[in-house]
Amino acid sequence: MPQIKQEKAGLNIDPAYMKRVTFLKRRVLNTRPEMDLENARLLTRGFREAEGEPLVVRKAKAFRKQCYEKTVKIWDEELIVGCSGSKIRAGILCADSCWSVLDEELDTISSRRYDPFNLKPEDRLAFEEEIRPYWKGRSNYEEWLAQIPDDTRTLRDNGVVYIDRKAVRGWGETTAGYEWLINEGLDGIIKTIEDRKSRLDITNSGDYEKDYYLKSLLIIADGMTRLAERYAEEAEQMASREGDERRKGELLEIAKTCRRVPVKPARTFREALQSLYFYQTMIFMEQNAASYNPGRMDQYLWPFYRKDLEAGHITSEQAQELLDCLWVKFSEPCLFQDAQTAEFAAGYPMFQNVCVGGVDDTGKNAVNDLSYMILQATMDVRLYQPSLSVRYSVSKNPNSFLRKVVELIRLGTGFPAFHNDDIGTTMLMNKGVPLKEAYNWNPCGCVETNLEGRMRQYTALADINLGSMVEFALLNGMNRKSGLTISVKTGEPTEFDSYDQFLDAVKKHLAYATRAVVAGSHIIDEIGLNRPVPALSLTFKECIDNAKDYAWGGAKYNVGNGIILIGVADLINSIAAVKYLVFDTGKITMKKLIEALDQDFKGFEDIRKLCLEAPKYGNDDPYADEIAGEVFTYIADEIERYKSKYGTMTPGILPVSGNTPFGLEVGALPSGRKAWQPLADGVSPSGGTDLNGPSAVIKSVAHIPHGRFVQGTLLNMKIEPAMLNSENGITQLMALLKSLCSLGIFHVQFNVIDQETLIKAQQDPDNYKGLLVRVAGYTAYFVELGKDVQDEIIGRTVQHGISLG
Amino acid sequence: MKDKDIVKKNKVKGNIIRIERSSIHDGQGLRTVIFLKGCKLSCPWCSTPESQSFEFEKGYDQRLCTVCGQCVESCPENAISFFNDGLSVSTDKDKCVRCFRCFEVCQANAVKKYGFTVSVDDLMKEISKDEIFYFHSEGGITISGGEPLCQPVFCAALLEECKKVGIHTAMESSLHTSYSSFNKVLPWIDHLYADLKHMDNQMHALWVGESNHLILENLLRADQTDYSYRLTIRLPLIPGFNDTDLNLQATIDFCRKLKKIKEIELLPYHRLGSDTYRLLGLDYKCRELMPPSIDHLDERVAYMNSLSSGIPIKTGSGIT
Repeated sequence: MPQIKQEKAGLNIDPAYMKRVTFLKRRVLNTRPEMDLENARLLTRGFREAEGEPLVVRKAKAFRKQCYEKTVKIWDEELIVGCSGSKIRAGILCADSCWSVLDEELDTISSRRYDPFNLKPEDRLAFEEEIRPYWKGRSNYEEWLAQIPDDTRTLRDNGVVYIDRKAVRGWGETTAGYEWLINEGLDGIIKTIEDRKSRLDITNSGDYEKDYYLKSLLIIADGMTRLAERYAEEAEQMASREGDERRKGELLEIAKTCRRVPVKPARTFREALQSLYFYQTMIFMEQNAASYNPGRMDQYLWPFYRKDLEAGHITSEQAQELLDCLWVKFSEPCLFQDAQTAEFAAGYPMFQNVCVGGVDDTGKNAVNDLSYMILQATMDVRLYQPSLSVRYSVSKNPNSFLRKVVELIRLGTGFPAFHNDDIGTTMLMNKGVPLKEAYNWNPCGCVETNLEGRMRQYTALADINLGSMVEFALLNGMNRKSGLTISVKTGEPTEFDSYDQFLDAVKKHLAYATRAVVAGSHIIDEIGLNRPVPALSLTFKECIDNAKDYAWGGAKYNVGNGIILIGVADLINSIAAVKYLVFDTGKITMKKLIEALDQDFKGFEDIRKLCLEAPKYGNDDPYADEIAGEVFTYIADEIERYKSKYGTMTPGILPVSGNTPFGLEVGALPSGRKAWQPLADGVSPSGGTDLNGPSAVIKSVAHIPHGRFVQGTLLNMKIEPAMLNSENGITQLMALLKSLCSLGIFHVQFNVIDQETLIKAQQDPDNYKGLLVRVAGYTAYFVELGKDVQDEIIGRTVQHGISLG
Repeated sequence: MKDKDIVKKNKVKGNIIRIERSSIHDGQGLRTVIFLKGCKLSCPWCSTPESQSFEFEKGYDQRLCTVCGQCVESCPENAISFFNDGLSVSTDKDKCVRCFRCFEVCQANAVKKYGFTVSVDDLMKEISKDEIFYFHSEGGITISGGEPLCQPVFCAALLEECKKVGIHTAMESSLHTSYSSFNKVLPWIDHLYADLKHMDNQMHALWVGESNHLILENLLRADQTDYSYRLTIRLPLIPGFNDTDLNLQATIDFCRKLKKIKEIELLPYHRLGSDTYRLLGLDYKCRELMPPSIDHLDERVAYMNSLSSGIPIKTGSGIT
């Protein structure tokens, strides 16, 4: 690990480059996100000009038109340049896939609650006069609304499933072949395409389609080449006007870099970073979507950094500055999505997942100096992007790496997402990838799994509300909120003689919801055929080899779409409570329980107490945890029963923020959760129910068969400052993480309970009822402690400087 | 070890207050700490007052009480009544037979129960749950209290079971006990934390209610044995009581005699236990006593180091 970073951490003195980084970062923080319709206008014109050509060619030509004509800007103090649109912080609209989303929100987009975008009058005008008239009736979203099956629509409309996500934003959820582009340049890829094209004979049946597909890829490459040139020209012009010699030199360096990449193979670390970011902006420009994941940057950039360093072309500080500049760039773009989707994934979530650590394709430790520098970039920049992930191999990665990871956790930014390498590899193998390639897996988006330049899928096509499944079982298929019977009829629960009958009812509803989602997924797959992404496909070798777009299944590995489960702890705890209270102990009757739930426990406080005291997931209690193992094995089995034209359907557990809107659809539950409250997130225990400390949480969570939930499982843990404010605490957190890996849990991320949280909890106890802290050898609800003890705990957090972190 | 030893159930029982998992303050690594019920000393600064009595105890949090009256109704001894103009309830300790019916019916979590009985066998099941954490952190179990050596047979049985399955063992004790009790656990202890609250016998007796003779003798006698436990002497640093030059010097002088000592740990006084006094309805005698400042603590450590005993002086978190 570079010595300079060590000193920096110890002395807390910012190196000189942080001045620039801070400037760039403030600009991002101080710029309000806007809608940017320049791309949509150019795309529309491009489509008009290419009337009569095959769809993918029109798409390619429209893309090229954007490259030729879009605004090209280089902002003050930047070193890495590029922007998908014309504005520094903006959401772009992909008119061909989902123009109508904006149509419905023209009046509200500037002020909506989640992720507002300022819509300027001139942009609105462009939309109303040029974009809407052309695309009306033609978007994927409209196709989806026309084709959605009735039962899927009913479940969707009642908040039991959420399945619009892919219809309102584009592909994403993929890892492009960045490495190939960086190493070969567009020129190398163009040569590959031309070679392939030359082997076609358009008099052979099927070759014509391949021919025009490859032609569209060449059009894309031409557009990209020109766009890079335009950046070089802009930098040269700016340099000629620049009075400050320092900045003039930087602009000329930018120009030189853009003359070289992404057209030619990168030769230096800087060229590699610029090539990568250019491509990142271009695939986002092609399709506004979350989760274009740069993946294993510490692996594919390492040869460039090492070579530069050895040749004396760069210092570790200069390399760090470039990385930090790139990190700020990752935070500039904003994902545009409809209001409801934004509610399920709030925060303009680009989910550009960068990953460090893990093993190489021989299975040996892959951590290098760059792994540490990438962690440091997130420590330096502390913006919301990129989503930084760690692949940690408990058997192969060194303790120094794990220690650096814990140092980042201490900052309380929520980064990194910590992934268990072995389970990630298992997940890829379960997706049908052989071990040699599976070693190279990368985290994708939130906690999904991916493989660079080789894998096609929607990792999170739809979400299923698990709270509703319990509700259905207790109401014979009825949705409490609407009073409508919308799932299968599984019998009056008061007539169930055994726990097995109840569990069987829950399973039937799970099966029904899964089936409805699969039906919808197949339709989305069908609609997706009309959504080719040639700019993305350009770096998928097999897309060229097969002359088949990513959207058509051209990638090496095609995987069935991801079905996401939300409300894990609510499901487990509710089943456990029914089993315990009604069937095993007979403390209450089913009738009484249902009455209490009908009244949201009002007048049934005694029943609620019993519900809350029933065994809870998160306490290492086999009673609840064995239910977790059984039910989630069933769910994985059920989802894997279905195949799409691309492969077996895939389960995952990642709520982003969907547990809150789903909670609004679910009444009181036997777990003791009151009506309309948020559901638990990911595989985490319900807030305030995990009373036995972190090891018990980890033991419970290990009962979920993580390796089978191949689209990832997400665990949020709260961590107390005591764990982080001493050398011993850091060592023990490292041991905790190793234990978590040994137990086969896939992922964890930490929220540090900081001083600010505790003060807020003291002032507003009602909103912090579940906040647990440790006091003199026991765990207590913070808000239930006397003020003097609260003050002492707050004082301890200050004393150790955690809040300053 | 013969096969039958592995399956033999250990039915020895003990009384404990609670089990705390993944503690990082009571020995190396991540530890499961077992707090035993009952102690013969009565230190006024005690941070776990619920550990002092050998009886199970009832706690009552008036702030959480909704005065629903269920406990009043449920009490078979009529020991609970409304109080304070109906704003809270009160328990007549003379009438209460500790059946904890009130604890069972309370829906507001206002009534607490301190203490339960557990067998070594059941405790081992709890302890074993964290084996993977012990493995990665080199952790284990710590028996704390209360005073563990008030239940020596239980402790020895528990520690032996742990050693059989390779779990690291530690014990925190005041050592105010007979040597025969102490000797029962010695073969099974990897790390012993022993408190030296004051070297002056009169001060000791005055403040904690008992002489320090047994404690000092036990330390010296065990030090002559062949057992290879690691010894940490702990000094709860109570401002105005035991933080004088004289006492610290006397402590060091005594520790110099101990061959097995590895370090002295100062635990700064803290008030995190004050809430439990409130719940138990006990008077917290140290209410006005302020915890030592960081500067004072550092200065006391520096003073002890200046005595050049060669024994490392550390400061603990003071959490327990």
